[in-house]
Amino acid sequence: MASRIIGIDLGTTNSCVAVIDDRGTVRVLASPEGERTTPSVVAWPANGGDVIVGTPARRQAVTNSAHTVFGAKRLVGRKVNSDDVTALARTSPFRVVAAANGDAWVRIGSAGRSPQEIASYVLRRLRAIAESALGEPVTRAIVTVPAYFDEHQRQATRDAGTIAGLDVVRILNEPTAAALAYGAHRVTEQRRLIAVFDLGGGTFDISIMSVEHGIFEVLSTGGDSALGGEDWDRRMVERMADEIFDKTRIDLMQNPVALGRLREACETAKKALSVERETWLRLPFLAQDQDGQPFNLERRITRDDVEAWTAIELARLDEPCRRALADARLTAADLEEVLLVGGMTRWPAVPATVERIFGKKPSKGANPDEVVALGAAAYAGILGGDDEGAALLDVTPHDIGIKVGETGFSVLIARNSMLPVRVRKLFATTSPDQKFVSIELYQGEHADIRKNRRLGQVTLDGLPPGPAGSVRVELNLTIDVESIMSITARELSTGKEAGVTLRPTGGLTQREIVEIISRRREEESAARPGDGGLARLPTRDLPPIKPRGD
Amino acid sequence: MFLKASNPPPIGTAVRIDLTLPTESMVVLTGVVAEHVGPGGLDGRGPGVDIKLNTIPESALWLIESALASAAKPGTAPPPPATEAAVDDGQDLQAAESELIIALTSEFESLRKLNPFQVLGVGYEAGDADIRAAFAELTKRYHPDRFARYTSQELRGLAAEIFILIRDAYRRLDNDAGRAKALQAIGARPAVKVPTLRTPPSGEPALAPSPPPPPPPPRAPIGSPPPPVIRTSTPPPPSSAVAPTVARGPDTERKPMQVAPPPIADDTKVDFRAADGLLDAGRYDEALAVFKIYARKHPADRTARAGIELAEGLRALAQRDRLEAAQRFEAVLELDPTNERAARELADMRRMATNERRGLLSRLMGKKE
Repeated sequence: MASRIIGIDLGTTNSCVAVIDDRGTVRVLASPEGERTTPSVVAWPANGGDVIVGTPARRQAVTNSAHTVFGAKRLVGRKVNSDDVTALARTSPFRVVAAANGDAWVRIGSAGRSPQEIASYVLRRLRAIAESALGEPVTRAIVTVPAYFDEHQRQATRDAGTIAGLDVVRILNEPTAAALAYGAHRVTEQRRLIAVFDLGGGTFDISIMSVEHGIFEVLSTGGDSALGGEDWDRRMVERMADEIFDKTRIDLMQNPVALGRLREACETAKKALSVERETWLRLPFLAQDQDGQPFNLERRITRDDVEAWTAIELARLDEPCRRALADARLTAADLEEVLLVGGMTRWPAVPATVERIFGKKPSKGANPDEVVALGAAAYAGILGGDDEGAALLDVTPHDIGIKVGETGFSVLIARNSMLPVRVRKLFATTSPDQKFVSIELYQGEHADIRKNRRLGQVTLDGLPPGPAGSVRVELNLTIDVESIMSITARELSTGKEAGVTLRPTGGLTQREIVEIISRRREEESAARPGDGGLARLPTRDLPPIKPRGD
Repeated sequence: MFLKASNPPPIGTAVRIDLTLPTESMVVLTGVVAEHVGPGGLDGRGPGVDIKLNTIPESALWLIESALASAAKPGTAPPPPATEAAVDDGQDLQAAESELIIALTSEFESLRKLNPFQVLGVGYEAGDADIRAAFAELTKRYHPDRFARYTSQELRGLAAEIFILIRDAYRRLDNDAGRAKALQAIGARPAVKVPTLRTPPSGEPALAPSPPPPPPPPRAPIGSPPPPVIRTSTPPPPSSAVAPTVARGPDTERKPMQVAPPPIADDTKVDFRAADGLLDAGRYDEALAVFKIYARKHPADRTARAGIELAEGLRALAQRDRLEAAQRFEAVLELDPTNERAARELADMRRMATNERRGLLSRLMGKKE
């Protein structure tokens, strides 16, 4: 029998791994230290030691803030000049740099590290946790991503899995996974329309779904792949830093260590304020002023303060929800239930906003941090043939279309189309005796194509001569359930055809991935203790990399 | 293709070949004489003619495929126990996968010909909930995720094609307006059809004739399958009026079948309802007789001919002769594309066949049942 498939929730702040056990129940796998979730934090120690992952990395963050990377998920598959990345880079203690292709990377020492590589350390750690808990090798995984992730971000996540020695059999949307986990123990024959509201550390997803006869059908999704709990933290940090600057002229933005401590304290304060109405930020010796005098931060902070500072973030939740409802052709009253997923839904203003938008009290699951991983594990059961009573019908999150003219965007597959999907479209030549036609595929919602992301192109040459409009080309575009796209273009009179299978790049080339893996293999062969407590596990050969994109 | 002929007809003569399959069903191939082959030509096979065949209709391909499939399995014997023995053989796994591919291909081909109601296997009176339930049921069987554990890319692609057909049918029927439009396109008469399907066989219908002795089936019963016989009357004298096998156009031979059925008189409706009642009661021979009597009186009426095929199919099914049944049901749909019962039976059989194949695959893959 083929090896077991684990389910991984690769979160912005925390990650989690789950599996279907031999009795067919899904359960979270805890680390040898008993942790059920692993902080998505990766650190390179200042003394040049081995990479540290998870809680140990988080613990040493204050003293090594420039080389401790958290929230790498927010950089995955993104360009360094995008607004969200710029905002993130401003307050992050580590340096965000531009890779040769414009992708956002992180500078560690003198070298740039891709977010895929950083995420792969977390995935490798989760894989090791699963192997030690199961007592067997694990090579296959389903990894969840925000529903709103585009193809580049999805592919980058796959690449991270490859680097970690995992065959990512499927990328699953987080809200879908959450619904699957919730629905698994309450299957009804009655049709239920639900919304899954997923606000995590760095991403926001809203999915409207129909659950009936074991079929989980996503009707629409929306969201913001750069909105999450860390934005609340960031607002608090910015606010505090501004206050301190106004009072003391100390610029914390120039001081990564202080910034790291402040960020950590703000996150703790935010958690406290989710329950209490007020708390204290106490950071002795945070920095020194111009005279070399130590500055101690001591400030009372209330929930109302934070709510006032983050009103913009809260307001950003509205529009995606309304659009998702409209896309599903439903009104809030049609929904039977709104499920809350993600740690940030603990913040009281968030459920209150949800209630305002949907007009009903949202329901909380037992554990919003684990439910996504549990859903991924349940999906492994469906793919493995163990669970024949359920099926997932997911959708494309963004419009997919082609470039027309210089900057125009013509949508071929509208967002929220159920997968697998296929479209056919006829085109005519636009100039006489046109020799070739080049069709460029883009993904996004903007009418101006430059704001959308390019997926690839197919070129058909050797067109027969004729006046403009006389030669017709049929375009066939399919996207399968694994989000793999194929396009073919065929000239109708000659039957001449050109086709490609598109595997959008995640930013790393196949060669770069291989290089990272072989470097990692060297590190592993120099076996050493102290790697998050799991280094003593037997190391094994990584699976061969499958060529793709051909 | 090459055919022996001592007195070849002129080039361009239309040719018709009646191919009798081991399953007793007949496939009609048409073509034209493309070339003369002299004696000694073509490895000494001549003299004869080279015939360029027209495109073989999908229905014929399906018949040939199912005949091949049945020839591969000896008879309609119960599933050979050999599959259990060969559990760990990789070659068998491949064979099982390719068998599943054949099954899915033929399912795809036959689904493609059905109207959306038939694809979902629901009646024309179905409501929102029925449509969704049918879609859910089919999704659990055919969604590509169901085939994710098989390695064959072709298999998954086929499943995707089938699922897209099912999903499109669902999208067309999942609202009142769509259903009304689909019904209009089919030209169905749900008012007549529905009661016949729903009426339980309560007692003996008044108009049923006294049970005649079971008439012999129109085709020879299935014995040991004979090899395919090519019956051809080429070369016939060209342009001769007494050569019915030489078609004047590719479709001439098929024409009579395409004549629209005459408006059915009221008494015939009653007649068929009675016959449907007999079918429901499992009295296939009697129903068959009813249909045949009517068909003899009105040879052009397709509904009656469809009734005959339906009764034959149900009888074959009762005798566990699934291949024969499938062909009969296919014939029903060819005569009467709106026949729900045949579509439903066919859909059930397809599902059963796929399930059996998947069961076999699961065993081969060592999956715990």
